[in-house]
Amino acid sequence: MTDPNNILEVNQLSLAYDTSYGSLVALDDVSFEIKKGECLGLAGESGSGKSTVARAILGLLGPEATIKKGSLMYAGADLRELSPEEQRSIRGNKISIVFQDPFTALNPSLTIGAQVAEPLIFHKGMSKSEALEKAVDLLASVGINRPREIIKAYPHQLSGGMQQRVLIATALSCDPDILILDEPTTALDVTIEAQILDLLDELCRTRQLGVLFVSHNLAVINRLCERVCILYAGRVLEYGKSSEVFSQPRHPYTKGLIASLASLGSEATNNRLTPIPGGLPDMTALPANCVFQPRCPFKESKCASEIQHLATMDDGRTVRCWKAQKEANLRWTDLPSDHGDVPQKQKASFQPSEKGFIEASNLTKTFSSEGILSELVAKLSKLHVFRDLQRSPHVKAVDGISLAIAPGEVIGLVGESGCGKSTLARCMVRLIETTSGEIFAEGKEISREPERKLKHFRQSAQIIFQNPDSSLNPRKTVGQIIKRPMVLFGLSHNAELDRRVSELLEMVRLPPAYAERYPHQLSGGEKQRVGIARALATSPKFIVCDEAISALDVSVQAAIINLLQDLKEKLNLSYLFISHDLSVVAHLSNRIAVMYRGIICEEGVVEEVLRPPFHPYTEALLSAVPRFDDKTAETTRIRLKGDVLAMAETSRGCRFHPRCPRKIGKICEEITPPVVESASGHRIACHLLTDEK
Amino acid sequence: MLVYILKRIVYIFCILAVMSVLIFAITQALPGNVARMILGEFATVDQIQAIEEKLRLNDPLPLQYWRWVSALLTGDLGDSLVMERPVAPLISLSLQRSAILAFMSLFCVASIGITLGVIAAVKHNRAPDYGISFFSYLGISVPEFFWGILIILFFARYLGWIPATGYVPLSEGFGTWLSHLIAPVATLTLTLLANISRMTRSSMLEELGTNYVTAARAKGLPERVVLFRHALRNALLPTITVLAVGVGWLFGGIVVVETVFAYPGMGRMLLFAIEHRDLPLIQAGILIITAIYSLSNLSADLLYAYLNPRIRYGRTIA
Ligand code: SF4
Ligand code: SF4
Repeated sequence: MTDPNNILEVNQLSLAYDTSYGSLVALDDVSFEIKKGECLGLAGESGSGKSTVARAILGLLGPEATIKKGSLMYAGADLRELSPEEQRSIRGNKISIVFQDPFTALNPSLTIGAQVAEPLIFHKGMSKSEALEKAVDLLASVGINRPREIIKAYPHQLSGGMQQRVLIATALSCDPDILILDEPTTALDVTIEAQILDLLDELCRTRQLGVLFVSHNLAVINRLCERVCILYAGRVLEYGKSSEVFSQPRHPYTKGLIASLASLGSEATNNRLTPIPGGLPDMTALPANCVFQPRCPFKESKCASEIQHLATMDDGRTVRCWKAQKEANLRWTDLPSDHGDVPQKQKASFQPSEKGFIEASNLTKTFSSEGILSELVAKLSKLHVFRDLQRSPHVKAVDGISLAIAPGEVIGLVGESGCGKSTLARCMVRLIETTSGEIFAEGKEISREPERKLKHFRQSAQIIFQNPDSSLNPRKTVGQIIKRPMVLFGLSHNAELDRRVSELLEMVRLPPAYAERYPHQLSGGEKQRVGIARALATSPKFIVCDEAISALDVSVQAAIINLLQDLKEKLNLSYLFISHDLSVVAHLSNRIAVMYRGIICEEGVVEEVLRPPFHPYTEALLSAVPRFDDKTAETTRIRLKGDVLAMAETSRGCRFHPRCPRKIGKICEEITPPVVESASGHRIACHLLTDEK
Repeated sequence: MLVYILKRIVYIFCILAVMSVLIFAITQALPGNVARMILGEFATVDQIQAIEEKLRLNDPLPLQYWRWVSALLTGDLGDSLVMERPVAPLISLSLQRSAILAFMSLFCVASIGITLGVIAAVKHNRAPDYGISFFSYLGISVPEFFWGILIILFFARYLGWIPATGYVPLSEGFGTWLSHLIAPVATLTLTLLANISRMTRSSMLEELGTNYVTAARAKGLPERVVLFRHALRNALLPTITVLAVGVGWLFGGIVVVETVFAYPGMGRMLLFAIEHRDLPLIQAGILIITAIYSLSNLSADLLYAYLNPRIRYGRTIA
């Protein structure tokens, strides 16, 4: 023990998993410490071992994992040396954890109260009623209203944000010394994420907790943590103060990570991102010495021949790269070459003069529990009938939306989950039927056309989904997957087909040999490229990207964003780009449409919508995004209360009024704000607009 | 919810209506002249005509069907042709005996099956898991009558612990009554056990892999609490559905088992009725089995809904 203030010290932890391929070194020489009242960020992409660290501390590693070396010092003892029973008594009591996905971390068949009270009953020996009393206080302390009602509720009755608060309350129930947060906000909307981060920030400060914040999101870590530890392939590559690490990264990997982030700052938006080339390393065959070598543009022969140690820099941080001190100021973008990528290019300012390629007019989609469709669903699945019967009979997912997308234009569609953005997109490519309204494709009304007349439309409009895993047939090779739509539409034949496949693979920058591979042999980023290649196979003019890059790691994301951008310029494609990540949307889009509960409340050119934002909802969304570049946002931040789903249906007035921080008064509650369009085509639906005049 | 239950009940009536037509049609298609079956080989033409007159067997089929159904609706199941007694009390008596058999078997299947399934899941891919898998597959892949004969040979003939066959009413003493039930119940249990234990095992394994079970472990709860309170509770939901389907298999099994053990229940009665072309008995028996099967499915669904808070409490509150 070096510093009495340290409540947790991880020393030179090395850990291996037994797999069918042999032993896999998941962590190698990982060391860090957490002080009382401090929040340490553990950042890394998938496979970096960040969650393994969390599990190792809790003693929740499976039987396949063995700790080879190192110690986990807590309260003067090595956690590794405790008996399973002693470990259990610390778990959830002195050291507790909040997991990523609140939807699945709560047991669906136990009440909230029972789940919050459990640790109190087993660790503190409270009676059930005492524990439930305490649970009420705990829920109140994490900002849950009406806690007495909530303890009787079941998890599915709460929204995601509320569920996460419940889990935080559970983790805090026994007054732990250490709280581990494993991607606690990744599954939540930005607005809810902002609420939870505020709460965590406050809890950290008031409770003198030591927090280990595990996340892939650097901006979130920057917002919450004083110090950060960057993990890559199970190794610590850089470890120091967040402010320093993020503003002047020293390790090439950190530099690359930050360069691949799309930023909301105005100057960055027009630039291409500079992705880290290559993909995440294969953990079973790691390169010798420096694990980052294959992707590092600064690589020299010494990198492979010498063991890379964590070295302390002049400002106190530690970096695992021998060049870090010498070339501290070399930026990722200063590199001699752009790794074969197209040179920097300005996003062409877009003139929406042409007629919309695809146009939705007054589109409405109502999901109802009556009707033939739901009868069918009811027969297929008995469960659904139950649920639907209790739901209000009509849910207007899309409520009279008009939106036009011109050839070569990218429209970014943003909004919280449940606002209807995916429904709108699916209606526009006719994956689901619309209830009313019209859809024009190249000037032709298609919303009521029978399927057999849609062949041309199907060919020219494609969709790319979020999860490449579930949309690629695992039993078909990449080549077969890409050929299928071409055969279906009779676009090419025989030898022509193979040529076209390699052409498409080249377009998405995959080697032609990949045509022979099966999806499971590809990484996440590669699978998504295959998904894009398949969408491009029919030479479409319009592609819906429904959270198409959200599941990818940051360093891989940037490459796909660039790819989408290049393809657009080359083929004059239009995209409807749906994402919860406002920075990415702003980066890629010409125009942005902001959706709230089935309507578009603001739409216009990116600059006009975001800089500065006008509509209160846009403003709230924007200020919820944690950012590197804009520290002032921290103070002027506005916060939304509640979330979309939890708010009662508002039949009159502005839909946003129950949560609107700028509500004017009665008028907002009574009268639906009209859509006002400026000369530049900026459409806003808010009473503030007319109020100011 | 209420709407749903009503819907299901209407649905059941529809099934029964369709079944009644089918049953009627099939029994009419049975080979042989009914009157001759009743009166035997040597009946005279006059006798046959007389009985056909009496039973109105020469009326058009739709009319006969209508008469049967309208009598059914007033609760009159008709008279047995062979035994010349009303069908209702006959069926009710054998139904009671079969119900005892069915409930006891179902109880054994559920309790033993779930226990074995949990053990197999917890000891996943270790000796107990393999052992349980082996024996439950053995149980399912060998037909009832084989187990029945084996049990009779070993426990009744060789060890002499239990009576080989037959049935004794409860009035002759609980012990004797029970001893006659052991063999048929054990046979039925053996053949149904596999499905339940396999189902419990796989849903339990699935539960043990969920995030909330990991979260429960991370709370530092004792392993038994994690297993029973967090995992088993959810794992039982799909098992209930399988149990309801099990009722269907049970009927098939009961016919065989009652025959093997000479147990006077529904199954034996139906066989008897079919052998003797006792139409009213066949018709009423099959219809009742259909009704029971539909009702047991409905109650399983309702139980499932009741135990699943996601269905019981639908609304979002915060
Ligand atoms: S050691 Fe070499 S290869 Fe590794 S990060 Fe540093 S410069 Fe790059
Ligand atoms: S109309 Fe009123 S409530 Fe709605 S966004 Fe504008 S100010 Fe807020």
